[in-house]
Amino acid sequence: MTLLEAVEVRKFYGTFCALDGVTLTIGRGQFVSIVGPNGAGKTTLVNVLTGLLAPTSGAVRFKGRDVAGLDPVRLARLGLARSFQLVHVFPGLTVAETLAVAVLARRRRGARLFASLAAERATWDEAAGVAELFGLADQLGRPARTLPQGDKKLLDVASAFALHPEVILLDEPTSGVSTADKHAVMAVLVEAARRLGIASIIQVEHDMDIVFGYSDRIVALHQGRVLADATPAELQANDEVMATIVGRAARRA
Amino acid sequence: MQRILNLACGSFYALGAYTGVSAVTWALGHGLPAPLFLLVLVASGLALAVIGPPVERLLRAVYDRDESFQLLLTFALVLMFEDVMRFVWGTAPVQLGNAYLVYGRLAVAGSTVPVYNLVVIAAGGLVALGMGGLLTHTRFGRIVRATAENREMSAALGVDLRRVYARVFTLGVALGTVGGALVIPATAAVNEMAIDVVVEAFAVVVIGGLGSMRGAFVGSLIVGVLKAGAIATWPEVEMLAIYVVVIGVLVLRPAGLFAGAAP
Amino acid sequence: MIRRGLALAAAALLALAPLLAPPYQVTLLLPAFAYGIALLGLNLLFGTAGLLSFGHALFVALGAYTAAGLTTRYGVLSFEAIVAAAAGLAAVVAVPVGLLCVRYVKIYFGMLTLAFGMLFYSFLYKFYALTGGDEGLRVLRPLLLGRPFAELDKVGFLTGPFYYYALALLALATLAMRRIVRSPFGLSLRAIRENADKAAFVGVSVRRYRFYAFVIAAVFGAVGGTLLAVPTGLADPLLAYWTHSGNLVFMLLLGGFEHFLGPLVGALAFIFLQDLVMSLTAYWRFVFGALLAIVVVFFPRGLLGLVAPERPA
Repeated sequence: MTLLEAVEVRKFYGTFCALDGVTLTIGRGQFVSIVGPNGAGKTTLVNVLTGLLAPTSGAVRFKGRDVAGLDPVRLARLGLARSFQLVHVFPGLTVAETLAVAVLARRRRGARLFASLAAERATWDEAAGVAELFGLADQLGRPARTLPQGDKKLLDVASAFALHPEVILLDEPTSGVSTADKHAVMAVLVEAARRLGIASIIQVEHDMDIVFGYSDRIVALHQGRVLADATPAELQANDEVMATIVGRAARRA
Repeated sequence: MQRILNLACGSFYALGAYTGVSAVTWALGHGLPAPLFLLVLVASGLALAVIGPPVERLLRAVYDRDESFQLLLTFALVLMFEDVMRFVWGTAPVQLGNAYLVYGRLAVAGSTVPVYNLVVIAAGGLVALGMGGLLTHTRFGRIVRATAENREMSAALGVDLRRVYARVFTLGVALGTVGGALVIPATAAVNEMAIDVVVEAFAVVVIGGLGSMRGAFVGSLIVGVLKAGAIATWPEVEMLAIYVVVIGVLVLRPAGLFAGAAP
Repeated sequence: MIRRGLALAAAALLALAPLLAPPYQVTLLLPAFAYGIALLGLNLLFGTAGLLSFGHALFVALGAYTAAGLTTRYGVLSFEAIVAAAAGLAAVVAVPVGLLCVRYVKIYFGMLTLAFGMLFYSFLYKFYALTGGDEGLRVLRPLLLGRPFAELDKVGFLTGPFYYYALALLALATLAMRRIVRSPFGLSLRAIRENADKAAFVGVSVRRYRFYAFVIAAVFGAVGGTLLAVPTGLADPLLAYWTHSGNLVFMLLLGGFEHFLGPLVGALAFIFLQDLVMSLTAYWRFVFGALLAIVVVFFPRGLLGLVAPERPA
């Protein structure tokens, strides 16, 4: 079943064409990686898929609804969440508070003026549960700004997961994480997605080891076009694509 | 250019106005030929620019902080300047009398306009052109624009940011004080002129887009015309008009006509 | 626990002040209480939501003029009715103003609120028939809980029943604000302050919450304004002037905007400092400008930042 689809999406920045007719469907239960060299349009695609950028032409639909122009709050309520390449945290909020913000927003309790935050048992329990999944359970009381970089990244992703989205888009979830730790991070993400009932993960990733190890499908972008959309096995058999798109990155990994 | 909103720029303007009155009164008292008073005004305005560097030095303490603190520090300056002016000139409006009429009047489109007003308009145009030339054609101008664009990059290229800021700031102060001095023959110097100017200037900058000189010029024309229009149609609300215009501008055109600088 | 003990001790001291301190000092506490309430609102915007308003005096003036208008024009003397009317009026005014202002942040928000404040000032100044122009409007002695206290002279009234009334209102406002800051809403506002983009992506309706905070702040400002007008017996346009807004921000910074009690400490400190400096020189603004500059540059966390360096959760 199709959750998220892009149909013939074009995106121009002035005269520069960042996306040139991208068509893509993401079904329930898929782990899709978007790969391609720098400048291929990966981040633009993610931004268009999450409504942050309106496509110049074409359409992006999430569960049959057009996402262009939908603000992030509406998207989160529909079940689409994302994290950014650069870490976004609330520096002054603790880990528990950060996750509680997301939980409260999801449960539509964030606007409660005179309710006691301390009495929100269910919210704090759930926040602690998410923290546990991401290995942040013993950091609950720490302000985000004092966390090591890797934990900040995890907290950023965890707060998106706390929204229980159906689809989550992760822009380079392991950037800034040492190669040795990348697999551990991915294992955490996959397990957390399973436990929280997140149906599909879309990630932008450079590390081909990670891409081939975890994806059900790989979408290779080159100069704003979809060069290949295939399973890891199919892609590995395609020497031409591997050489032109993945070659350099594969060596780097 | 520096992306600092200076509430005190209005105080510089007011200070320029007060000083202008005193300087001209003193000069005329010492036998200065009346037509030369314009030069005295400009000179007194320029002389006042000496307060630029020390003030800039103070503001330097908060360049890297949140804008709110910059705003507050300039507010502190406003309070201080206000009492300085109160101390020196008192609270009553101070004016020059009719000295500005020495240049005579001119009939323009059926109404008489003091020539002095035309001189001021011309001076404004010259300053605008001069600034434009300075920014586009001189080394200093190029450095300033590059710095406004990207301070890290210019610092990396060896631009001494402190000196650039100090000079730009002093230049800004000088323009403010000379501006204040020039309008004084036509109006009285009062303490309240400070905030009106700040709010108007903010509207001008918002219309034109932050950091855009051409925008600032067009913006000031638009604000001037809107204000004049509002006053002409409903004279009782002169004071209100400025703020209505400013609010209208902020609400309708937050990013400015000439710049992509989003709020 | 120590902090709570100190707060209670301070409250007890304030409750006993009329018995211990000379009447003049006690009457000085009244504007401090009034500003305390107004600043609680201002700090919900700045300290909690991260929006610096340079037009908060608009709502303080609105409260003062509500008290003046109701007592002199309409013969409404019940102070409870005045407070309720001021709160209601502030909310009504804050809705359109807030809707426009919260579309912006930082200096744009600051300048837009400043412009609205000055618009109100000009209105008060120009519409003489309605507002008394630059002379302002007198505020008559109100009834407190329906009682006129006619047997007391002005000082007796202010340092007696009105003092305790104001203190009680301040206590109520403090408890209400404490509740708001410690609610899910308060947490959401702090998230917005820390990183508005991120807040939106975890489902927080940034503008809507900022708008709520704006309206709440306005109500607190107006309630403070009603209290401010009674001791002076006058509502005048300068209450809405932008430097008054600036002074409010100054008080907040002086007390420490990062702390819940910063507004109250700031209001007390400002009022007593102002009294002291004004008794020494007519140019108190210059001294205060210098003081503000020192606070901004060297002690941006205010007085409470000196004694309690950790930002409380």
